[in-house]
Amino acid sequence: MTDDELDRALFALPLEQPPPDLHGKILAATVLRPVPTFRQWELWALGAALVLIGWLTVWAVSTTPEAGSRFGYAIVVTVRALGLFSRSTYVWLAVGLSSVWWISSLPFMATPRSTVYNR
Amino acid sequence: MGVALLAEPPAETVLRQAQDAVAPSDDELIALALSGRGDAFGTLVERYERAVYHLAYRTLREIEEAKDAAQEAWIKAYRALASFRPGAKFATWIFTICYRVCCDRLAKRKRYSGEEPPDFADPTDGPERAFENAEEAARLRAAIEALPEKYRVVITLFHLQGKQYEEIAAVLGLPLGTVKTHLFRAKDLLRAALGPTAQRRTT
Repeated sequence: MTDDELDRALFALPLEQPPPDLHGKILAATVLRPVPTFRQWELWALGAALVLIGWLTVWAVSTTPEAGSRFGYAIVVTVRALGLFSRSTYVWLAVGLSSVWWISSLPFMATPRSTVYNR
Repeated sequence: MGVALLAEPPAETVLRQAQDAVAPSDDELIALALSGRGDAFGTLVERYERAVYHLAYRTLREIEEAKDAAQEAWIKAYRALASFRPGAKFATWIFTICYRVCCDRLAKRKRYSGEEPPDFADPTDGPERAFENAEEAARLRAAIEALPEKYRVVITLFHLQGKQYEEIAAVLGLPLGTVKTHLFRAKDLLRAALGPTAQRRTT
């Protein structure tokens, strides 16, 4: 068999047929793969921050006398400062929310802008 | 020798069709894919999926592993798409990635099995036996599969890329002279495997 004959024979061979599900699997693993909410380094940073906060909390509670009662008092002070003990706060909140709902349900129609022809 | 006048188009035709007939070039598709057009990457996959799988299958000789290797190669290519040098041949690039993936898998296979995979196929189920009753294309395929790994890969890339020896050398990371030597030796082995049968048929 000559070199040319062998080359022709080789080039005449069909390529192997890939399994039918391969194309879908490739696309699913590449372009169709959902983008993760957090990147890897962001997850690591978040985890490290949480561990640090947890450790600091435990350390603060364990080293402060009467930590529980102080913590409760701080919460009460914060709630009072925000006005959450006042009835008028809730009235105004209700007024605001209902206004938002009412305005969002109004049927504002988009009107097409007039076209100017420069002739 | 009239090997395989088959209904399916030959490899060279498939690649030529892929490169020439379709409107956007590989470089254009890559640029589109990098700009966030997933369908452009999908078109690239369609173009070269079969050739990449063919290379993986010829190198690994197992359907499932070839499938996994081809998929891994495409994932790596997708992640490294930004590093693709415009003007280079995408086929060579993706074949290089695929070949490296296959080499890693072969190395793992050797490590776990604890023994070298045989360079030559067992003569009892090698080309000689396969030639007796199969079609000529199947015999050629069997002869290729019976080649040692280094020759089989060179022949497979020759089949895929034609006489672009520099491209083959780039994929394999071998000097051009070595590629030509391997190809020459591979063809010799194929001729030796196919020759007696062809003579037997003519007599």
